[in-house]
Amino acid sequence: MDKGMEVRISPQMSVMDKLKILGEAAKYDVSCSSSGSSRKNDGQGIGNTVAAGLCHSFAADGRCVSLLKILFTNECIYDCRYCINRCSNDVPRASFTPDEVCELTMEFYRRNYIEGLFLSSGILYSPNYTMELICETVHKLRTVHRFQGYIHIKAIPGADPLLIQRAGYLADRMSVNLEMATAEGLRAMAPNKHRKNILKPMRQIQNGIVENKNELTLYRHAPHFCEAGQSTQMVIGALPESDYQIMSVAENLYDKFSLKRVYYSAFVNVNEDKELPALAGGPPLLREHRLYQADWLLRFYDFKVDELLTAERPNFNTAIDPKADWAVRHLELFPVEINRADYRLLLRIPGVGVKSARRIVSARRFGSLTFEDLKKIGVVLKRALYFITCNGRMMYPTKIEENYIVRNLTYQNQMGRGEKLPFMADGTIYQQMSLFPQMIS
Amino acid sequence: MEEKYLICEDSLEGIFTGIYEAYALREGHAHVHIQIGEEDNYRLFATYLHILPDPVKTGKVAQTLLKRLGESAYHWLCRAAASCYLDKGEAVYKAVVDAITDGSGGRVMENLRNSYVQRTFELARYTANEAHFETEFIRFQELEQGILFSRIGPRNNVIPFIMPHFADRLCPENFMIYDENRELFGVHPAKQEWYLVSAQGTVKPEQFQYSEKEEAYQELFKAFHETIGIKERENRRLQRQMCAYRYQDYMVEFNKK
Repeated sequence: MDKGMEVRISPQMSVMDKLKILGEAAKYDVSCSSSGSSRKNDGQGIGNTVAAGLCHSFAADGRCVSLLKILFTNECIYDCRYCINRCSNDVPRASFTPDEVCELTMEFYRRNYIEGLFLSSGILYSPNYTMELICETVHKLRTVHRFQGYIHIKAIPGADPLLIQRAGYLADRMSVNLEMATAEGLRAMAPNKHRKNILKPMRQIQNGIVENKNELTLYRHAPHFCEAGQSTQMVIGALPESDYQIMSVAENLYDKFSLKRVYYSAFVNVNEDKELPALAGGPPLLREHRLYQADWLLRFYDFKVDELLTAERPNFNTAIDPKADWAVRHLELFPVEINRADYRLLLRIPGVGVKSARRIVSARRFGSLTFEDLKKIGVVLKRALYFITCNGRMMYPTKIEENYIVRNLTYQNQMGRGEKLPFMADGTIYQQMSLFPQMIS
Repeated sequence: MEEKYLICEDSLEGIFTGIYEAYALREGHAHVHIQIGEEDNYRLFATYLHILPDPVKTGKVAQTLLKRLGESAYHWLCRAAASCYLDKGEAVYKAVVDAITDGSGGRVMENLRNSYVQRTFELARYTANEAHFETEFIRFQELEQGILFSRIGPRNNVIPFIMPHFADRLCPENFMIYDENRELFGVHPAKQEWYLVSAQGTVKPEQFQYSEKEEAYQELFKAFHETIGIKERENRRLQRQMCAYRYQDYMVEFNKK
């Protein structure tokens, strides 16, 4: 790196102080997965990648720590309302040098603290300048240190397509944050960002991946371009968008931009901005949870958004999960006979996941399955029992009737025996549950 | 007919030798059982045979299983045999017998209607899950000569299943993983094949000296781990659910051992 690239920040700051500031600054970025890439070590350096990804630790908020997630710098010329690093905020600023990032990554990786590097950045001087800094750093890590672990790079909207392309050949995954579900929302929240500038690099990366696939079929040793695909994230609950709007955007991103993941981030009013909601009950975690559940239904359970939500029913039921909610509204399809139903229908039964459905399909070739077998296979019977028969019999005599089933499913929740929600410590969820009787009437 | 109990050692060799001997009896399998470790409540009208692990017989059984059941099923059986539950011997033995007699062969692990297969499946899954968690949560510490060292306390014998992962990943490093509960070392010399060493009281990991830089990196990671959590979302219960205390005990960022 030449002198022209020197950064503004006091170079005498210790790596520890920088790590604290730049880790703190990066923590609101949700994506931390290390999946989608499978690469053996070539014997020349350190590292490999595992298709399913590995979580190396869990932070105090219960989120996984898989990558060394840092900003290169938290200097930023933009002034996005929701962002802690906006230029109008008076927060301590710092910047790493490429060498510091490389050393931290290598030493953490050797000790099995992390699965790789997640490098994002505030906008220093210009998008191009910033993107170049990121590329420089990662290039050094890949070539000088011969690091073969996972690297996630944030594409800076507005950066030169050539720089984005260069980054794509160094990274396993790239992401461009959509930030807000609607273009109007983005305009209101981030005056310096434009939807167009976000979608452009997203499209470029998508095309890059497709071209790379073609190259790889011709030349097996061609360099990989974003092997683990690309992801994005949206802030939830800062603006009055409905779940239907958000999920429709997500579905579009999966279908039209071939994204690997869309992340949803419950809004935290870090700047105490008066124009943004105060959210007295804390970040909308339950809503975020329901969106993720629905996201899984889109990606692995062959659901479409229009099956889950409609313009008339634009938000998810807080009391039961989207899959059970869908099932109780389609009772004409149930009960399903476990020993005969096809795989797609098995997947639609509440309490049956992808693994259980696969095991059912392969195990029933050996003979018919009983409820006892299903339990061993991993089916959650207390949820599934309203929707299934084994050899023509239900587990218990139950009514196949919407209110009855919903009452039973939520009764289990209230007793703490039902759906396992990832948060309940403060009891706010219980309050929301008690609103439920008014909602179904 | 009289029941026969083959008392085998708690190891893969022990179980495979047991299976070999059970077939060698040629008395069918309904009344033959494999038991791991001594019986503490002997039954009347039953014969107890002590089986010593034998590398040749183990090899023959392994060969046969690989040939008849295929690699995937074979690995399931190995993982079950590494379990901490002692009924594993009987489960694996009977699952093998059923796989070979009912013709399910390589698809044996799909036959989840069979109670022995169910049990083998459960045990193997437990080992596999624990091995997976250990690959995530192992923390290496750098010793004086740049050797990486990690201490773990798993319930199942997971070292043989996690060594290949680290041998590939940390190919240019010298490293070793120490299982406290079994006093077993997995050792990987840089760019060479890994192997297992049973320590049995001869090596004392407490006396290892750490390199100068080690503490600094531990402090850096602790600081990073602390800053990455979002205060407004704090959820210790979820943290514990995802990463149990028994793993946290060995992890630097949780500041214990």
